[in-house]
Order: sequence, then C-alpha cells, then structure tokens
Amino acid sequence: MNFEILHRPAHSMARVHLNANESVLAESGAMIGMSPNVQMQTQAGGLMSGIKRMFGGESFFRNTFTAHNGPGEVLLAHALCGDMRTLEMTQYGYFVQSSSFVASTPNVQTETKIGGFKTFFAGEGVFVLKATAPSPGALLIGAFGGIEELQCDGNLVIDTGHLVAWDATLDYSVGKSGSGWIASFLSGEGLVCHFRGQGRIWIQTRNASAYGQAIGSMLPPRSA
Amino acid sequence: MQPQMAPQGYPQPPMAYGAPGAGPTAAHQITHGPSFAMLRVDLRPGETLVAEAGAMIARHQRVGMEVKLNAGRSAGIFAKLKAIFIALVRKAIGGETFFVNHFTTPQSGSVWLAPALSGQIQYRRMQGETLVLSSGAYLAHMGDVDLKLKFGGLRGMLAKEGAFFLAVSGLGDLWYTSYGGIEYVDVNGSYMIDNGHLVGYEGNLTFNIRTAGGGMMGFMASGEGLVCEFQGQGRVWIQTRNLGALVSWLSPLLP
Amino acid sequence: MRYQLVQKPDFSAVRLQFDQPGEQIVAESAAMMGRDTAMDMKTQLQGGLFAAAKRKLLGGESLFTNTFTATAPGQSLWLAPGPEGDVEVIEMNGQFPVFLNSGAFLAAPPSVNIDTKWQGAKGFFSGAGLFLLAASGHGPLFFSAYGGIHAVDVGGYGYVCDTGHVVGFTGGLQYTVNKVGGLKSLFFSGEGLVCHFRGQGRLWISTRNASSLVSFVHPFRPVSSG
Repeated sequence: MNFEILHRPAHSMARVHLNANESVLAESGAMIGMSPNVQMQTQAGGLMSGIKRMFGGESFFRNTFTAHNGPGEVLLAHALCGDMRTLEMTQYGYFVQSSSFVASTPNVQTETKIGGFKTFFAGEGVFVLKATAPSPGALLIGAFGGIEELQCDGNLVIDTGHLVAWDATLDYSVGKSGSGWIASFLSGEGLVCHFRGQGRIWIQTRNASAYGQAIGSMLPPRSA
Repeated sequence: MQPQMAPQGYPQPPMAYGAPGAGPTAAHQITHGPSFAMLRVDLRPGETLVAEAGAMIARHQRVGMEVKLNAGRSAGIFAKLKAIFIALVRKAIGGETFFVNHFTTPQSGSVWLAPALSGQIQYRRMQGETLVLSSGAYLAHMGDVDLKLKFGGLRGMLAKEGAFFLAVSGLGDLWYTSYGGIEYVDVNGSYMIDNGHLVGYEGNLTFNIRTAGGGMMGFMASGEGLVCEFQGQGRVWIQTRNLGALVSWLSPLLP
Repeated sequence: MRYQLVQKPDFSAVRLQFDQPGEQIVAESAAMMGRDTAMDMKTQLQGGLFAAAKRKLLGGESLFTNTFTATAPGQSLWLAPGPEGDVEVIEMNGQFPVFLNSGAFLAAPPSVNIDTKWQGAKGFFSGAGLFLLAASGHGPLFFSAYGGIHAVDVGGYGYVCDTGHVVGFTGGLQYTVNKVGGLKSLFFSGEGLVCHFRGQGRLWISTRNASSLVSFVHPFRPVSSG
C-alpha cells in the first residue's frame, strides 16, 4: 500500500494504492472516490459515541476499504481545506486531534478515552485520540491549513485550536492563554497547551474554531 | 518547499536598515504561503511585536504576552476612549475586536501568528508612506508604525468589512493578510471593487461606498452587496475570496 | 475577450479583459470582485422567471445572474466563486455537452447555452442534491468547486465517486446512484450515496464537499429562540 498526496497544500487528497486484498482504515466520510473493485465495511466504534458525534465533528467509525480481485485505489480527504501528510508509526505512538485523523494502516490502534482533555478544545465534538501500533505502519493526518512540524526542545506554548498531532513522548498541560479570564477574552486567545520535553509537534496554520465562528455567526440561525 | 525549523538557534536575521529611526528589519519568515500562510517572528531582546488579538498560534514560554487597546502610538485619553468605543461597536457588529497583543522577551524567542481565514500574509517595510488597509487585513507590526482608525461612512457600516479602515503609516515592519490570494489593480480613472474583496489601497485615491449598480434590484438581487468606487490614481489590492460570498453559497445548503 | 486564471489552484479567480465594446459575459451573482466602473452590469432572471425558478429549486444556482457588457476597449473584470477552491475553464466547441453540478457554474459568454436537466428521483436522497446544469454551445465555460478539481478519465471499468464530490462530467458518461456498503453504512459510515460512472469521458471531482462544511459549522451557528 502507498499513500500519494495530491492537490497540496490547500485541497489535498490522498490516493491510496492498494495491492490485491490489502486494506486501509479510514475515518467515516473521508472517501471521495474509489475503483469499483474496492469494498467498504464499517467497524463499530461504539454506537452511542458515534451518534453523539454525528454533528460538528468526528463520528468515530472507521471504514475498512479492501481491494478484491486485483489492485485498487481509494481517494480520501478530510473535511476542511488544508494539507495532509503521513506519519510513520513509532514505538511511542502519537496523540492526534480527532478531526485530523484521516486514515491508517490496519495495524494502528486508536484509543478515544484519554483523560485530562475535557476542556482541551473550544469546538464541540473535537477530542484527542492516541494512536499506537505494535508493528511498522503509517498514519494519514489532514489539517486545516498548512502543516508545520515544530521541534519541542524544552518548552513551547501552543494554541490548542492549532494542534494536529504530537509525539507521545512529550509532557503537556492545558491552560488559559493570558493571566485571568478577562485577559483571555480580550486577547482573543483561547486555550493553550504547554509542552515540555523532547518531541515533534505538528501544528496547522489555521484555527478551525476561529473559522467556524467567523462563518457561523453570519449564517441563518438553526433550531437548538 | 518549507524550510526546516532548526532544533536550536534561529535563522540569521537580515541586516537591512531602512530609513533612519526605523531600526533593523524584523527577523521573520512567512511559510505555507500562498494559501495558508503563517508568520514566525524571531524576537531579539527588547523588541516588541504588536499583533491582532487572536492571531497567536504558538510562542516560546519566555515570550511575554500583554493585551492592549489598539489605540495608536501617541494616543491621548480621547483617542483611547474612541478606541474603546470602536472596539465595543466592532464586537457588537462582529469582526475584529481591535485589541492587540504585545509580545516581548528579555532574551530572544519566537512567536508564530496566523489570521482566521485562509490566504496569504504579505510583508511590507514601511518607509514613511501611508497605506490604508481594510480592518480585517491587519495582522501585526513592529517598530515606529502608527495605526489610525478611519470610519468608512454610514453606508460602510452595512458591510462588516466596510465599517472601518486602518491608515498605516510610519517606519517599521508591517504584516497584513488576505482571504484567498492577493492581486492588484492600478487605478487610473475609476474602478469598482466589491467591498468584501478589498484588502487595501495607496496613492492618490478617494473612494465612495455604494451599492453595486442597477438600483434597488441590483443591490438585493445581484448578490453584490456594497462596492467601493475608487477615483484617482493609485494601487488597490484585492483578495480572491469574500466571506459574504462563501456564506451566500453555503446558506441554501444548510438544514 | 481574453482571460487569465489567477491564484490557482487554491483560491482561483478569473481576470477577464474585453477587447471590444459590446462583448459580454454572464456570471453567477456574487461572483464579481471588481470591474471598470464604466462597464455595464445588468442583473437578470436568467431565461425568464419560470426557468430561473426551476434552476433555483433544482440547480442550486441562484435566480439571478449578472451580465457584464463592455462599453469601451480594454475594460477588465475580476470574478471569483464563493467557496474556497479551484476554478477551471473548458473551451466549448459545440460538439459535446458538459454537465455541471449545482453550484459549480461560475461564468460563460452568452454563446454558451446553460440549461437545467431534471434528474428525476435519481439524485433525490443525496443531501446537497445532485442536480445538473447542461452546457452546450461555443466559448469558454468557467466552473468552480469547493476544494481542488481532480480530473478522472473514466474508461472500461468505470469509477465510483461520492455524490457530494461530483463537479461535472462530459456527455459520454452514464451513471447510477447507489448506497455504498448497505444500510448500516449509510448512517454510520459517513458516506452518503455514490455515483457509479461508466462509459468514455472525463469526470471532474472536488477534493472537498459542502455537506462536511455544513456539519462543521453547525455548532457555530446562532441558535434561533423559539
């Protein structure tokens, strides 16, 4: 299997080339197109959590796409405009912002109940998951905006709306940006994550909830 | 083709000096352009970066951040009151809050900034000229740069972006943004720009905010809200996307 | 009339320059970025009230289009679509028609004929609606998409595509709409319906789709009281 990323950086789409009988796991709704010999199967990820997350974020079911009777291809993309990249699985794994997860090799396991992240993100339905794999594999992530890899060598403070993924080797804690709520409100910054240690952090150059606010406030109201 | 971020140390700052009093050019890098541009400024000890509130992506722990009103450099009490009033109005009608963050550090450190909408970040070394920006286009500045709020007129208030403009002048570094890509038109006579597509202008231009044309039917039906009609000689920067047009494209698709 | 596609591929726009007075272009409403003041702009219900209403209800295009007419040589006009993404142009040569999804039409001169083709129940359940406009005639046809525009040359085996991502296709293709993977998949897989294309021709798909954006902004919308 290999991941080919096209239409970078703003409207990226991954073209996954599958050998006969190979599978790729992809987040619900990520499929754009595929060759007719690819079959899709939905995996259960927890019925209630899936229904709860139907609006405004990740419905965390993953589909398995398998090529039958020969090689095939699947085209995948995430919801918002931006770049995509693949991360090679390491022995420690990654923490990934839920809406950034697009696809993975079938051996990658994801854990959705991570403690300490209740107030992590400003948007609804956005949460953090941990991806690990017992053997070599790959993770495909998609961001809102461009993806920049930062090296944390000591400490970094990052606005949580811009976090895509980070090495599980880093220590992190969530806090307010300014001192006190008024300063945070006025300064426009929401929550930030203080990282300590050594590791890589992938950030996206746009903030989805700021974008959502900008558009959402101009849209006709919805029923509650 | 993104430059790799070195784990330690920062890229050498360019040692260009502008007009006297301007100070050295800010050490900065714009990456992920043209569509999702992000600005990284490497602050030298004692330098202060002023940026639009809400624009920060990341900073080193040692860089301090302080919220202030965007009242201009030599603001007396009346200018400050005016700025507070305008900030409240802006918060009420939507759009930028006109609070800014001041980033400084006694050592050196970096700040990463980006605007809310997708598009470019442009850098400009101000050398005493005046550039008028649509209020949503301002991102950050450093140095002896002055920002003056200009009122766009009552008709301008109907369009979120048309209500206020920022006249930027002085000596120093300026970064501004666009939604989409930036193109320009050299005006010699008369040219109309859809209000939501305006980034900024300079030169010997005056403008008038009016409805797009075609009278009442034109305003309501044509989808063009307000336009800026420029007269004179100068350069107008325009952006290739418009939040209002995105909203009118999306609205019929909503449940 | 000359044209240039700028800022490709991410936030593409079109810059048109008219050579002679009297040259015209018809654009969907809200597409104008800027123009020479002296250019004439008329807002119209394209094709009359009934056809426009049919197009609005079915095609997703608004009722109104703007017709820009040059009044002097050398006047320029800039056009941009609403969603973030690419713009493409096809030089129609009077031979094969092109079908465009609702919302994809940006602009074309009057020599390109735009017609609504009623889908019947085929596209009915696909959410955002797969209603088609049929373009024929001569001249450049400018169309846009939310996201990038990816061209697929459909051959013997055909191609399967999520309906929300279909931008347009040439007249030589046949299609059927299906659910993918059974009923459970319809609700939980996130995939709505798919279109299976067969025949010889070109298919344009967008790398982003509007209904994902709709779901994304849903929690950010103001809530109506009552």
